[in-house]
Amino acid sequence: MSTGHMSAGDPGGLEELAARQEALVRAMTAGGPLPPGFDAAAVRAAADAILRKRAGEVARAWPALAACYGDRWRAAFTAWAAERPTRGSFRDSWDFARAHRDGLSPAVALELALRETRWDYDGTGEPRLRKAAFRRVPGGFAVQVRGRLRVFGKAARR
Amino acid sequence: MNGTEGLPRLGVGIGWRPEIAGFVADLPGLRFTEVIAESVHLAHPPDHLLELRDRGASVVPHGVKLSLGGAEPVAPERVAHLAACAELLGSPLVSEHVAFVRAGGVEAGHLLPVPRSRAALDALTANIRRTRAELPVPLAVEPIAALFDWPDDEYEEGDFLTELVERTGVLLLLDVANVYANARNRGRDPVGLLDRLPLDHVAYCHVAGGEEGGGRYHDTHTAPVPPEVIDLVAELSARLPDRTRPPGFLLERDGRYPPAAELRAELDAIAAASGLEPVT
Repeated sequence: MSTGHMSAGDPGGLEELAARQEALVRAMTAGGPLPPGFDAAAVRAAADAILRKRAGEVARAWPALAACYGDRWRAAFTAWAAERPTRGSFRDSWDFARAHRDGLSPAVALELALRETRWDYDGTGEPRLRKAAFRRVPGGFAVQVRGRLRVFGKAARR
Repeated sequence: MNGTEGLPRLGVGIGWRPEIAGFVADLPGLRFTEVIAESVHLAHPPDHLLELRDRGASVVPHGVKLSLGGAEPVAPERVAHLAACAELLGSPLVSEHVAFVRAGGVEAGHLLPVPRSRAALDALTANIRRTRAELPVPLAVEPIAALFDWPDDEYEEGDFLTELVERTGVLLLLDVANVYANARNRGRDPVGLLDRLPLDHVAYCHVAGGEEGGGRYHDTHTAPVPPEVIDLVAELSARLPDRTRPPGFLLERDGRYPPAAELRAELDAIAAASGLEPVT
């Protein structure tokens, strides 16, 4: 076997590759322009396949959220996600729910409120568990101390 | 020497997924499975998986987010997780992809093809070297199914992979369904690619089903394995070099799980086409 190719390669080539890979990913996930020379329809088909896969992953991450939309879930999610690169299905589901508060069932609105009580998430950084929190939630209020969540009011009976 | 000498005889396997854990556990002859590495919580690994390990099955961690084909160096914590999975599961090898999944901090959400260029070979070579330096076991890399190509490809796929193997000595995970999908979507003969690959470096193979959509074949892993893919398993098996431990063939299913009888029939068809013993 050949072993004569252990050089580090051409750093300029790697820099250009990095820029071209980023341009392609942005075109496929973030609404960026498609770099020249690609088959636009084929790249679109691949980007659409990724969106469908993401819709399925988010539905598995938060089934009740997807259930709010029934048969329209995939269309609703892909329309929202088309120019938003994934940040993992947990955060994608959360970001989607925050952006669609009016479309949530009462049960999912409560789940979202409880999630907000448990976690500190500014929408950009990684969510972090809160040490303690007190929140109004639909139908009552929630208290969370060191990961233990208690719900009071009508919401507690859901 | 091609790096496959130390591997166990894998036989026919199926990808371990939580949804079919019971089915997989009950396969009487199963000695080979694969788990998505990023799904393994090291502190709380699934009992079913540990039971398979404890009864002597080969459990291969299969990474999907390392981005070996990215121009940027692989993330050390992702390599460390792969290595820790291999230690935990007593794996004979780990696998990843000839692909990139992020660039400039933006996640693609899936495996994307690299250009078949010298620069991409440099990137892959460097990242495979970084990864193998931390792994306790061999690494196999899987060429992906891609719906598009880069405009500046300098190599045919077979030549590109041959060059990668020559540069690095890395093992191959050959996905027969990807070979089929790529050839079908480009109007080419899949057998032609088999004849140009370094088949002596194949550690194991994937087999899966996909679906036609929008005039393209999508390798979704959510549909039955088409007869054309089973035929290609037979074509490949007829071309594999003689060796003491033939590569394993692993069925991948990632959703819309069928009744157990259907999965068993697919495993039997793979065994028949590859000449390996049935595991059902």
